[in-house]
Amino acid sequence: MNAMLIKYLTAAASSMTGVIAFSVLFRAPKSEYLYCGIAGTIGWMFYLLVQDLGGNDFFANFIGTFILTLFCRLMAVIRQNPVTVYLVPGIFPLVPGAGIFYTAYYFVMGFPDTGMQRGLNIIEVAGAITLGIVFGSFLMTGLLHVAYRKRGSQSPHPEKE
Amino acid sequence: MFLNMLLDFPKLHKSEENLPDESLPVPEKVSVMRLAALMGELLLKNGGEIYRVQDTLNRIISACGFSNHSVYVIANGLFITIDEGEPDACSSVRHIASTSVNLERIAILNQISRDLCSGVIDRREAYQRILRLSGPAPENRMSMALASAFGAAGFGVLFGGSFWDGMASFIIGFGLQWILYGLTDRGVSRFTTNIISAFYATIASALCIITGLPLHFGYIVVGSVIPLVPGYSFTTAIRDLFNSDYLSGVIHLLDAIILAFCIAAGVGFGIRLVTWLGGITYLGI
Repeated sequence: MNAMLIKYLTAAASSMTGVIAFSVLFRAPKSEYLYCGIAGTIGWMFYLLVQDLGGNDFFANFIGTFILTLFCRLMAVIRQNPVTVYLVPGIFPLVPGAGIFYTAYYFVMGFPDTGMQRGLNIIEVAGAITLGIVFGSFLMTGLLHVAYRKRGSQSPHPEKE
Repeated sequence: MFLNMLLDFPKLHKSEENLPDESLPVPEKVSVMRLAALMGELLLKNGGEIYRVQDTLNRIISACGFSNHSVYVIANGLFITIDEGEPDACSSVRHIASTSVNLERIAILNQISRDLCSGVIDRREAYQRILRLSGPAPENRMSMALASAFGAAGFGVLFGGSFWDGMASFIIGFGLQWILYGLTDRGVSRFTTNIISAFYATIASALCIITGLPLHFGYIVVGSVIPLVPGYSFTTAIRDLFNSDYLSGVIHLLDAIILAFCIAAGVGFGIRLVTWLGGITYLGI
């Protein structure tokens, strides 16, 4: 139990640090650094949680991206910013950037079999992330639509994804 | 004298573009076109997604009262035409050579487009506000280097490294950003920059190992090269592809793959060199 707690706390701290650092590197607006960090942490926490509950890599990535997209869309509406501002830094821990590097690395170092395996894994993860974004956007667009209709106002500048 | 004319030409062209709309006897259509083209160019330059650029330009041109228009955007260029087939048709083509991600500018441009479409500001004010964003973004190199350091440390730990691996990545990531600045200031191409930076990260990681501290080489290297890794291109590629912008998706995907191979080449070369020098017998990632 204690080990679990330490694992999750380390993951939360490191993903928060990493994602905020990347939102600085991508020059996000200063006021949004914290929200980018929270978005990235939420995505990675759900990824870990699903993995610990016995989900496979595909499913963990899917759920992580799905929750992350919901959060980013919500922040985009509340804070009146394009969703990219939150999604691009926030998705960084889940995106297989390191995976592409490993694939290329194994090919360069003469282990094409391992490289191939990594490459297939990237395609799988990319598929999961795409599905997560699609479903997250779809659900959030629907929810927002309902919310706006209840308030009787028109949705402003409806944004795709 | 002829040389002078040649040299002056780009300046002349630029100052003409910078003049406010009404001092030039340009038709309304042309000034709308300029506004849209500048907006699209800046959005693409700062890393906006393809569908956002396309959507924004369509909205702007419609809001300015032109219904017969067509906008086509790909990852490194954009094409706009208004009233094609009419005698006074006009069109614009822009080539966007390089992208550097600046999310703040995208947010500001998005706000300008909203204001323009909802009638809060007029076309002239919108043009002037957009023009203000067309120069190079002010940057604080120290904070960028610190961000690179924290990014390297955070992801080094996130991918399984220990706290001390993170500290090593922190130092290497800090130096990495300065090397990147040094190389790009000298006009070195993007690919060479990535190869050299990855090579530096590997050699620096090996130096950390040689000190004999309980560090893990693989995690330090991965953490240190994370600021170089094309995660942004890859995400954009996925989103482009699923928005059916296949051409832009493939451009971004190829960009990501080629960059990844450059980084891998730099790391691979570094490892081979360290192994050959005999400092360490085997370094595996």
